[in-house]
Amino acid sequence: MAVTLSPSAALRRKRIPPLTTTGIAIVALLIGVALLGPLLTPHDPYQFSIRMNESPSADHLLGTDDQGHDVLSRLISGTRLSLMFGAGAALIALGIGAALSLVALSFGRIVEIGVFSGFDLIRALPGILFALAFVAAFEPGATSVMMALGVSFSPMFAMITRATWRQQMARPYVAAAQVLGASRIRVNAVHVLPNITGALVTQFAIILPRCIVLESVMSFLGLGVSPETPTWGRMIANATQYTEAAPHAVLAPILALSVATFGMALVGDAMRRGFDPDRRRIAA
Amino acid sequence: MNGRLVRTLLPIGADVFRSLVIAVGIVVFSFFLIRMIPGDIVDVMGIEGTLTYGQQDAMRESLGLDRGWWTQFTAWLGMVLGGDFGDSLRYGTPILNLLRVAMAPTLILGASALAIGLTLGIGLPVLACVFPKSIFVALVQFITLWSIVVPTFSIGILSVIVFAVWLDWIPAIGNIIVPAIILGMDTAGTLAKILHEDMVDTERAAFVRTARAKGLSRWRIVLRHILPNALTVVVALFGILLAGALTGAITTEVVFGLPGLGTLTLQAIQGRDYPVVQAVVIWLGLTVVVANLISDLVQRALDPRIGR
Repeated sequence: MAVTLSPSAALRRKRIPPLTTTGIAIVALLIGVALLGPLLTPHDPYQFSIRMNESPSADHLLGTDDQGHDVLSRLISGTRLSLMFGAGAALIALGIGAALSLVALSFGRIVEIGVFSGFDLIRALPGILFALAFVAAFEPGATSVMMALGVSFSPMFAMITRATWRQQMARPYVAAAQVLGASRIRVNAVHVLPNITGALVTQFAIILPRCIVLESVMSFLGLGVSPETPTWGRMIANATQYTEAAPHAVLAPILALSVATFGMALVGDAMRRGFDPDRRRIAA
Repeated sequence: MNGRLVRTLLPIGADVFRSLVIAVGIVVFSFFLIRMIPGDIVDVMGIEGTLTYGQQDAMRESLGLDRGWWTQFTAWLGMVLGGDFGDSLRYGTPILNLLRVAMAPTLILGASALAIGLTLGIGLPVLACVFPKSIFVALVQFITLWSIVVPTFSIGILSVIVFAVWLDWIPAIGNIIVPAIILGMDTAGTLAKILHEDMVDTERAAFVRTARAKGLSRWRIVLRHILPNALTVVVALFGILLAGALTGAITTEVVFGLPGLGTLTLQAIQGRDYPVVQAVVIWLGLTVVVANLISDLVQRALDPRIGR
């Protein structure tokens, strides 16, 4: 395992630039809030009240929304949900993309062409369009949106798997394993897979913020989670109808979403640059 | 002679064939996607209580849902190939008319975004290359970072609040300039990043050193020697950029209240108007396929290194 493809090793090589440090701090904060979630909320995020669209005060630090929910509490519990749905979609994409392409690459040229034409087809349909079509066919809801985003982002993982797989196949350790009589499946699963994990993790870090944004977009369009569920997208959708009366109710989730994607994208981009010293992208 | 012709035409044929396969795939996919609904469209409408059993049967017959799926598929395919997407289930009007009306704002928004994106995305790297130690290099880096870390969705809603609600500079519904700039920034960032990297690489090439030794001006070196070499990147990216601008337009127009394809699709999904969703998927999918094919072919014609 002499090939250093672990993200940490790639980062250690250089001094970490300040922007990346900011990104790491944001991601750490997000994970902390998502994990501690219910312990941090000052009020019950589902609690209605007659104090609607109130400006921020000592009791409600970020004010209340159109149904009298405490915005801060909803924001905090929304962090866990938004991250969960986004990560769920990205994980489905990783699972489908990486597993299917590795299997296809193990079974020879014809299977490879077949499976990758399927991925080409999905890639031809832009993410949001695919998600809309998918949700139209199945019921709108959190699961459909996660599945739809997972399937539509799977080609991104399939492409990166194939590209790194080809690089690895040219390495001596693969030839050595083959000489020792290992089957193609064994070579891929036991020897190549650990070596392309780093590239897949990096791709995951790049895809994750996009999944979180698209999940919010779908919720904003009313096709994601149920109206009561406090994900960021849902909060934005509800509050945009009252921007005049309660701008804080829409600004809070929008800024949370922006800061979250900002931090994650910075980390993802830093990881990508750590992997590609010659600054070339492996897959668009 | 003949061998050379084959060598030129074969990769072009392969490109066209691949696009055709994907186009057919999109059409077939959009047909079967709708068939994946448990039950059928009429069942769904029946559960909503809008139709009696007699009406359900009549509707099934008029839509041809009582026949086998193969018969349905061939009949539907014949219609679509003839450019007829059928009627909307909700409005009863031909879908083609709905598409035609909704397409205008989306196309205008997508095209303006693309125009802004190409101007900034090519202009900034060129200026950064001519003046390597100026603010333009920082601008390229800024716009690149912007497109990576700022989603058009969140900045779109933020601008609606700031410009429409607070400052009252633009109407909250129907403004096209602000969304075009937002989408254009996104396109510009994607393009500027790759173009800048490519131009910096080309800068080190031997022919650039020769041009400099000949005493050519900085502008002439960049515009006549470096840029044409890097422009293949723009052509290669064109399909992706167009797809990005069009799909970006779909979400952005909903945020800015423009009555385009995105709004139409959204209403169709909420109203279970499946044929409309189908038509939008086919139309946008095919646009992307054609754009990718064109950019592949132009790239092949411009860059003799590809596919030989």
